[in-house]
Amino acid sequence: MVYWILLQKSFMRNMQYKVAHLINNAASAIFGFVFIAIWVGVLQGKENDSPYTALDMTFYIAAVQCILWLSGFLTAGLNIHNGIRNGAISLELARPTNFFLYVTSQEAGRLVYNLFFRFLPIGLVFSLTVGFYIPQHILTYFFLCISILFAMIISINLHYLVGISACWTTEIDWAHFVNFTLLVGLGGQLVPIDLLPTPLSSITPYLPFAGAIYYPVMIFLEKSSSEVILIQLVWVVVLTCFNLWLTEKARHKLEIQGG
Amino acid sequence: MNLYLKLLSGSLRSRMQYKMNFLVSSLSYGLIMAVDFILLAAILQRFDDVKGWNLYEVGLLYGISSVAITLYRVFCVEVHNFERYMVEGEFDSLLIRPVSPLSLLLTKNIDLSRIGGTIQGILILVISIIGLKLNNVELFLLLIYLPVTIISGLLICFSLGLITATIAFWTQRIKDFQTFTLYAPFNAANYPMNIYPGWLKIIFFTVIPVGFMNYTPVLFLLNKGGDVWNLALPPLVSIVFLFIALRFWMFGIRHYHSTGS
Repeated sequence: MVYWILLQKSFMRNMQYKVAHLINNAASAIFGFVFIAIWVGVLQGKENDSPYTALDMTFYIAAVQCILWLSGFLTAGLNIHNGIRNGAISLELARPTNFFLYVTSQEAGRLVYNLFFRFLPIGLVFSLTVGFYIPQHILTYFFLCISILFAMIISINLHYLVGISACWTTEIDWAHFVNFTLLVGLGGQLVPIDLLPTPLSSITPYLPFAGAIYYPVMIFLEKSSSEVILIQLVWVVVLTCFNLWLTEKARHKLEIQGG
Repeated sequence: MNLYLKLLSGSLRSRMQYKMNFLVSSLSYGLIMAVDFILLAAILQRFDDVKGWNLYEVGLLYGISSVAITLYRVFCVEVHNFERYMVEGEFDSLLIRPVSPLSLLLTKNIDLSRIGGTIQGILILVISIIGLKLNNVELFLLLIYLPVTIISGLLICFSLGLITATIAFWTQRIKDFQTFTLYAPFNAANYPMNIYPGWLKIIFFTVIPVGFMNYTPVLFLLNKGGDVWNLALPPLVSIVFLFIALRFWMFGIRHYHSTGS
């Protein structure tokens, strides 16, 4: 299966940089410590007024910092825009493979790498320093796996959308900034979305950004029912179908010049 | 200086060839810088303060830190992207010019798309200063001192950027180091240092001295502690740190080996 081989190759390519990535993990952990310190400082003496205790927020931020490496920090535009700039897109779209799967399987390989060399080491750092929540129910682990998988698919789709938009806009820097801002802001990176002011707290649970970060973390912390996976599933289907449709539109727009 | 002004206007003209892209990039960069503050505002609207610091007081720290790092990203873009010179072997071409490599790097390019972050930082500063409701003397002192703290922050940021760039002489790639030496510390400096555990505070007041940039002087300016020495420390620390960074840069250049061809 060509897509499986692409995934493996992408994993192996990232292995070349694992020492640099381990240094970067230390920085990611520091970001986590900063956010934990903010919440501990904010909740000091005010835990009765909050649905979360300082310990809850410590576990929340630790889990978010880990999951960001699976569904937050993806390649800008999945590198599609580079192919559009240098013309390689014409060959890539002409290949007898599905372009959507061709691009996303490579990113999936990178995310599998991130699981072993980003997600787990950072989780270990937090476990040894501030502690880590351990789910009490065996079913939680099952739902967590599904939720994380859906979170990855949602985020890959959002980044693909940014990348393929370059067929019309060429430049995607601004779209990537906006996408990332919405992902971390409305995905609950610093503030759990139920703590956002209204009307944001009413709208954000139904947006795809919550499915990429907030829901997997809340399932892990056993603070949300497994039904939220259905919201994630809807976004997985909607975004995938939309991207496949958009890819066809891009294929029709393609003009190959020269000779 | 004339050359630098010409470079500045040239860079601005080249960016303005793609006006829409420049404006949207600047705006979106400002937006991403502001989102943390907006979220913090949402938290503090609900919980009032973080260890005794209200939203406007944190905003003062946040604004100084944001303006300092974004000015660095605008004016020191080639130092920040120095790994390109190592990976693509372009550093040799800087060594054969009759001007020092660092001067060439600083005058070669500016990244005006980051200016949106500076404007966002200034806006947060203005909103915070208005919200603080200081008396005339306190306000006068703060406004007089603000350029000093921003320039000190810029020098500390530049020094950290230069030290990180120097590491490239041995490691070639530095992007991952920058997250550790620049992004994480400056993110931490957006908030009051008293919220951090002891070991983090030690780091931010010694090897990565971002705590001196805004926290130390603002403590005194907002009557939260310290004495007049708090105002002298930021420029002193930034100059000493700049000296160390320049020495390390020279040490790196002496140990640079071209890959040849």
